[in-house]
Amino acid sequence: MGDLYVWLVSFFFLIALLALVVFQLMCLADLEFDYINPYDSSTRINRVILPEYILEGVLGAFFLVTGHWVMSFFCGPYLYYNVKLYMSNTHLVDVTEIFNMLHKEKKQRLFKLFYLVFLLFLSIFWMILTALEDHE
Amino acid sequence: MGTENPGRPNFTTRPTTTPFAAPPQTMTPFSSSGPVAGPEASGFRPPPPASQQTPFSSSGPVGGSNASTFRPTPPVAPQTTVPFSSFGPAVGAQPSPFRPSTPARFNDPSVPPPPTTNVPPTVGPFSRFPTPHYPSTPQFPLTAPPPPSRPPPMGQLPFQPPAGQAPFQRPLQQMPSVQMGSPPQSVSSGPPSVGVHQSPSDSSFPAPLPNSQTSFPGYARKQVSADSQGPPTQSPFLTQGGYGAPPAASSPFASQQGGYVPPPPVAGPHHMQHPGSGPPLGGVQALTEDFSSLSIGSVPGSIEPGIDPKALPRPLGGDVEPKSLAQMYPMNCKPRFLRLTTGAIPSSQSLSSRWHLPLAAVVCPLAESPDGEEVPVVNFGAAGIIRCRRCRTYVNPFVTFTDAGRKWRCNICALLNDVPSDYFANLDATGRRIDMDQRPELTHGSVEFVAPTEYMVRAPMPPLYFFLIDVSSSAVRSGMIEVVAQTIRSCLDELPGYPRTQIGFATFDSTIHFYNMKSSLTQPQMMVVSDLDDVFVPLPDDLLVNLSESRSVVETFLDSLPSMFQDNVNVESAFGPALKASLMLMSQLGGKLLIFQNTLPSLGVGRLKLRGDDLRVYGTDKEHPLRLPEDPFYKQMAAEFTKFQIGVDVYAFSDKYTDIASLGTLAKYTGGQVYYYPNFQSTIHGEKLRHELARDLTRETAWEAVMRIRCGKGVRFTSYHGNFMLRSTDLLALPAVDCDKAFAMQLSLEETLLTIQTVYFQVALLYTASCGERRIRVHTAAVPVVTDLGEMYRQADTGAIVTLLSRLAIEKTLSSKLEDARNFLQLRIVKALKEFRNLYAVQHRLGGKMIYPESLKFLPMYGLALCKSAPIRGGYADVSLDERCAAGHTMMTLPVKKLMKLLYPSLIRLDEYLVKPSTEADDLKIMENRLPLVGESLDSRGLYVYDDGFRYVLWFGRVLPPDIAKNLLGTDFAAELSKVTLCERDNEMSRKLMRILKKFRESDPSYFQLCYLVRQGEQPREGHLLLANLVEEQMGGTNGYVDWIIQVHRQVQQNP
Repeated sequence: MGDLYVWLVSFFFLIALLALVVFQLMCLADLEFDYINPYDSSTRINRVILPEYILEGVLGAFFLVTGHWVMSFFCGPYLYYNVKLYMSNTHLVDVTEIFNMLHKEKKQRLFKLFYLVFLLFLSIFWMILTALEDHE
Repeated sequence: MGTENPGRPNFTTRPTTTPFAAPPQTMTPFSSSGPVAGPEASGFRPPPPASQQTPFSSSGPVGGSNASTFRPTPPVAPQTTVPFSSFGPAVGAQPSPFRPSTPARFNDPSVPPPPTTNVPPTVGPFSRFPTPHYPSTPQFPLTAPPPPSRPPPMGQLPFQPPAGQAPFQRPLQQMPSVQMGSPPQSVSSGPPSVGVHQSPSDSSFPAPLPNSQTSFPGYARKQVSADSQGPPTQSPFLTQGGYGAPPAASSPFASQQGGYVPPPPVAGPHHMQHPGSGPPLGGVQALTEDFSSLSIGSVPGSIEPGIDPKALPRPLGGDVEPKSLAQMYPMNCKPRFLRLTTGAIPSSQSLSSRWHLPLAAVVCPLAESPDGEEVPVVNFGAAGIIRCRRCRTYVNPFVTFTDAGRKWRCNICALLNDVPSDYFANLDATGRRIDMDQRPELTHGSVEFVAPTEYMVRAPMPPLYFFLIDVSSSAVRSGMIEVVAQTIRSCLDELPGYPRTQIGFATFDSTIHFYNMKSSLTQPQMMVVSDLDDVFVPLPDDLLVNLSESRSVVETFLDSLPSMFQDNVNVESAFGPALKASLMLMSQLGGKLLIFQNTLPSLGVGRLKLRGDDLRVYGTDKEHPLRLPEDPFYKQMAAEFTKFQIGVDVYAFSDKYTDIASLGTLAKYTGGQVYYYPNFQSTIHGEKLRHELARDLTRETAWEAVMRIRCGKGVRFTSYHGNFMLRSTDLLALPAVDCDKAFAMQLSLEETLLTIQTVYFQVALLYTASCGERRIRVHTAAVPVVTDLGEMYRQADTGAIVTLLSRLAIEKTLSSKLEDARNFLQLRIVKALKEFRNLYAVQHRLGGKMIYPESLKFLPMYGLALCKSAPIRGGYADVSLDERCAAGHTMMTLPVKKLMKLLYPSLIRLDEYLVKPSTEADDLKIMENRLPLVGESLDSRGLYVYDDGFRYVLWFGRVLPPDIAKNLLGTDFAAELSKVTLCERDNEMSRKLMRILKKFRESDPSYFQLCYLVRQGEQPREGHLLLANLVEEQMGGTNGYVDWIIQVHRQVQQNP
């Protein structure tokens, strides 16, 4: 039964992460179509970047603590990428160069999005599996 | 090309093939040679039998020509050889090889004569060059016989073998392998009669000709004598003349030659341009060339590369604005406002992908106009500004009025718009508006509209200057404060925007000092803020004051400023907090912030570390971060400044590392500029600072500006380069912009195929003029769409291309190694030339020649100069980090003309001018008398001035007559020149020198050129002031011009 809760919690974590990434993508898209100025866009994006990183780190740690090695392994690359960006101090979007970086930033977030969706499916799969096992 | 294709207004006419059709007819006799010229074989073929003879005759003609046109060319024989060289491969040895080459055009005539194998080859070469050169071809036959006679002296050695043919073959075959069949070429080319003929016409390359003649004298004669046919041949020539137009055989040549650079015979390499390729039908037009070429090759048996340095193209005339576009569309805005890298937009994406140079525009929206050509100001009043409903294009000369004047069609999006009733005017019979002449916006490519209130977010701001001055002890010591204070005071009357101008001051060391200059005070009040973590602005209302009201307080302040901090011993700099305070102060209005900075920021936010002293990072992947701002604080501040319409100019004076990379960011994103005076001392650099600061304060400035460039459907601007911040994908925010700033933007095709015939570009700069009016400056230009890559090359604009390449390369240095930036430049140039070569490689057999479009003849030179420019050149030891960054920031804003001057500075000899009595007219003449930037230009008996637009270097030759030096320098003329300053002395010579320097400066007022004196042999000053800047010289691991050309040429030929 405990396992099911673990999967449920991770499910919500992932949904939250997805929401954060989608939000960033929306800001970038708005910027591209000139619905929003670069100052607002970059403040909004930068506001949620650290929460996203922390949440992702917590999720990885959570999997690790609860003994779901495979899932924590899958969280690794994502986490590594974030840490690398953070260490090189390029994790925040740069308002002055945002238009030149737009494509790169969007691509980066799209990758993250797909990766998160993949994780989400995995965790849903495990959740259902656990639920079924519990049921039996 | 050399001829400048005056006649080519029409792109369509261009087709090279057609042109010759006509000539063949006329020329039958000539046909042998003629065929070459005419790309079309067909014309010639018919005459074959006759022609065969003719070929000989032609050769004879050569001889004959000698008599008439060619005489000077005894070298003719060599010419013949030349073709060989080029064809070398084909000629290989025997007729068979020949045929392949010749078949198309010449076959018949040439083949028969084959006795001399050479003949055919010659033809071939000609064929490549549609131009008249052919006459030389016939010569071949001649040459064959004479070979024994040839004088060995030249590089010809290979040929010397007694048996004419045998030797020939040899060279030929070699050639292919070598790639450069130069020796033969040289022989042939140098001597080529063409070259000779040209010589008269060519002013630029006068030297070579004589040589060529001399070298081959024996030849010509022999040929002549040998050829009985000679006389007949002449007639053919005449026919050729017919091509060009003028009956005289010689004249046609001349026309061709225009482009030519005659190569010296000896060197063998020469420069052949082939104007003739594009001759218009009917032979009406002068022959014009499709491309220029340069023979390159090493003489077998010698190590020397076979290039004649004198024959290389050099931009001694400075930057040349393209004219053809202006002729085609006379209503286009002037090129000083907008220049395109090519005056022909590719019609498809596939075509544009073959154009390896940038496809881009360089815009200088506020460029200074000469008197009488000011941009007209238009006020629509009640009608409002006429713009297209859909694409927001402003009304311009290219819109068309229809429906009896009630509608107008937008030239960019083709939408029909209504004409407002206030703007209505009837059309005359031709469809022109009857009031056209009173409407500058319909007749001028550049106009300025007075913008109504819809174009304002707030009331137009007054011009506002805020000065942030470093008063730490090193700043005091350098004397900077005094010069700055004096200069500002002297400019108070000329600040634009009286009586609305606002002004304010703050100074900083470890604390920030503000000055209350309320008009009711008699003395300024100083307020010190020492809380750097939480900066606040005391009395926010009285720190920025109206200049006209507080004039006396401001003057008192400026008078006392130098003495106030005279004894300051504070060595700290709270630059970051001071910057924040300035932002708070100015955020209400915006304006211009001038920062005078001397000490590396050491306190509070934005403090910077000493960087760049770890030698191990240079040349590695960790090098480029040194050229980027260290602390994101500066980028954030720059973004904030732009947001509040504040433009920042940074004046840096430090003698130590001062991190221009970080400080420059402030200017980069706010449309400002970096002025860097390393190791500033007021006695030496004071004049420069005074002039440049005065210009900065008094030049016409556009405030709170935004700029957008619109273009027709299917084309889109994709990237922007320069000092500004992008407000949205295509909107440049420019808090303060002036005439010395240019912006570059690259465009790309959005659609695979363009359906329109003409692309229109419209630059619109919306700004607040200093007088308080909101205005829109609009520049419109039309550019044709072409389907032919050759046309794009023909319309290419070297100046704009180099500007783009320099900006791209500098941006590249921010993300990778310097070497990568240099390789990037080289690659782009090589790719472009390779593509161009491929265009003509099929039509013309090019052999070892390097070919390039006439319009881009200076591109390799500028490319080399760019690789040797301060931001990109060398490695750690060549340029200090700060200077590199400062030069990079400067070059990112320079308009085309200034950049060209910086890349290829002028070197002018002065001693003769000074000694001789002269008039005003001589002053002008001497300015055009530029010398190539090679060591050989410097004569130790001379006095030279080197001018790159930013400084002058006066170079005194070692054996310059002492009286000149004495007159100019006074009694200390023998002293070390680094300690001597140039000033006007009481004698004619000195006055003359100062007058000419003043003239130079007036012609180029955006910067002050400080004069450095250096004597020949005075190391290391000479090396670093002058010798390192002789861009054509080889030094310290960089290529010389000749090596560079060879290197580029080799790469062009690789894996075709």
